[in-house]
Amino acid sequence: MRIMVVEDEPMLAEHLAEGVREAGYAVDVAHNGLDAHFMGDTEPFDAVVLDLGLPQMDGITVLKKWRDAGRTMPVLILTARDNWHEKVAGIDAGADDYLTKPFHMEELLARLRALIRRAGGHASAELACGPVTLDTRNNRVTVEGRALTLTSHEYRVLAYLMHHAGEVVSRSDLVEHIYAQDFDRDSNTVEVFIGRLRKKLPPGLIETVRGMGYRLVNPQ
Amino acid sequence: MTLATLRGSLRFRLLLGTLFWIAATILVAGWGLGNMFRQHVELQFHAELKTHLDQLTAQLVLDDQGQPMLAMPLSDPRLNKPFAGLYWQIDRLAGPGLPASPAVMRSRSLWDQVLHVPADAPASGDIHQHRIAGPQGEMLGMIERSVRIDVLPLRLIVAADEGLMIEPVARFNKELWLALGVLGLGLALAALVQVFVGLAPLQKLRAALGRVHGGESQRMEGVFPAEIMPLVEEFNTVLARNAEVVERARTQAGNLAHALKTPLSVLANAADGKDDALARLVAAQTEMARRQVDYHLARAQAAAAVRLPGARTPLGPIVDGLVRAMRRIHAGRNLDLVVQPIPATLAFRGEVQDLQEMLGNLLDNACKWASHRVEIDAVIEQDRLVIRVDDDGKGIAAAQREAMLRRGVRADQQVPGSGLGLAIVDDLARMYGGLVVLADSPLGGLRAVLTLPAAQ
Repeated sequence: MRIMVVEDEPMLAEHLAEGVREAGYAVDVAHNGLDAHFMGDTEPFDAVVLDLGLPQMDGITVLKKWRDAGRTMPVLILTARDNWHEKVAGIDAGADDYLTKPFHMEELLARLRALIRRAGGHASAELACGPVTLDTRNNRVTVEGRALTLTSHEYRVLAYLMHHAGEVVSRSDLVEHIYAQDFDRDSNTVEVFIGRLRKKLPPGLIETVRGMGYRLVNPQ
Repeated sequence: MTLATLRGSLRFRLLLGTLFWIAATILVAGWGLGNMFRQHVELQFHAELKTHLDQLTAQLVLDDQGQPMLAMPLSDPRLNKPFAGLYWQIDRLAGPGLPASPAVMRSRSLWDQVLHVPADAPASGDIHQHRIAGPQGEMLGMIERSVRIDVLPLRLIVAADEGLMIEPVARFNKELWLALGVLGLGLALAALVQVFVGLAPLQKLRAALGRVHGGESQRMEGVFPAEIMPLVEEFNTVLARNAEVVERARTQAGNLAHALKTPLSVLANAADGKDDALARLVAAQTEMARRQVDYHLARAQAAAAVRLPGARTPLGPIVDGLVRAMRRIHAGRNLDLVVQPIPATLAFRGEVQDLQEMLGNLLDNACKWASHRVEIDAVIEQDRLVIRVDDDGKGIAAAQREAMLRRGVRADQQVPGSGLGLAIVDDLARMYGGLVVLADSPLGGLRAVLTLPAAQ
């Protein structure tokens, strides 16, 4: 899962990025409205945390432009002005939820998880596929109730596949969603992660669809 | 209307002044005209008497025995008709070897009566005037002159009933006062019309002000007389400036909030997840600072808005916008948000943002606590806008409801939110002279009833 954090205050942006990264997501940070708009328009994010008070282009405008261009990723807006006027304006511009500053990191992460889950059509915080369950609240993966230890990249790959269980996910899709933009990407590493995951998971769970990518299937 | 309000009324003052002048003018005119006419009639009366006296003098001769007689009878027929009101009489004055004798001759109109004339002897050529009692007790106006024919000293007297003079004066006065009365009434009526028509724009001004106050219009509309127009324009400028000041205050308050809250966020996040004394202190204090900022920001905005007249916010679009937001924000909870149809005429006499704030908090609370269903319903009751928000959650115990409206109390710390929501709603509603009441909902949960001033 790849998240964009848009916040102009450098320290807060850093804290946010750190918190979101610790929760198991790949994170990109934008510090102004123009960059945010460009990145959101060109990169596939699974969710965006968007501050409304931004230099160069305000958050509402950025959001409207994304929605007008058909970008549907869930957007959580951050606002310092705790009034419904702005919240309604934000929601009407296309936001999915709001959070008022100052906020607790756990609350932000909970909202973010809920947004990503809802966008994937999942009702529960726990994703399941056969014997494998993934609890998005604490990043715990279990196989038949047994906890599994995964590296952060392995977790991201599995989480993305779990969110899109039953769909074919291309290798480039996986790359786009597990790495931040500034990361040195190498699509071969995806194969390495898939290989490692196959060793840790029950056989037959991750299917290779030749020439297209991977698919998570229930082996039973 | 009391005396004090009457005294303060422009209309009453103008009317009083005008009516006073009309009355004074008519009284003076009546008195002056009556006087002039009376003098004129009096002069005429005496001139007539003098004509008769001259005629009498001219016709007076002595007969063979040396007794006075008239060469020709006087022409006025009234002199021959008994007690017709016009008389003459000739007295002999005491002379050498002769005693005085009254009424040696008299007009036939005197019949058997004698005029009792005060003793007097005008010098030759003088004419004296007297008032005497007549043959029938009436008052007579009388003139006399002394003449001497040969050696015979005579006094010639002509008298006429003063009634002849009083009657036309009385008739004139009667008609004069009638005419003046009609004139006065006409003038008073004209003054009344003038005052009401002249001051009608003030009534219009008041109506225009009422519309501004009632929230129907943002400025005073209409064409007013040149004397009032500058006032209206000035007032409109003040209204516009007020609106601008409020808007600026709002923006500044928002900017201040933004400027304060971002550093607060940085502090709070730095302390987040660490469990030492400093981190706990920072977390507690940033939370308190945030509440203070929220609370005073909301109050400052409300205080600014209530003083701005002319604000009118239709309810329907605000509810629609908030319901849209709630559906999105609480999308994960599968709530049934039911809005009873809101007539387009329903409007709040106040600022958009304040209505949004009050309703937003109530709806958000209802959505947080509801199990499946939230209902919104609005009506006008006795010029008040009454908005009910019901939920089917577990509700709040009656004893706790009062505390919920107080500042910063949260029913359950587990549900995200500042806990200031209901307190802010209560504060805002009170500033508009409204109120929020918590009760049991027929849906089983909490019912919040928000009562606010309605705009026409």
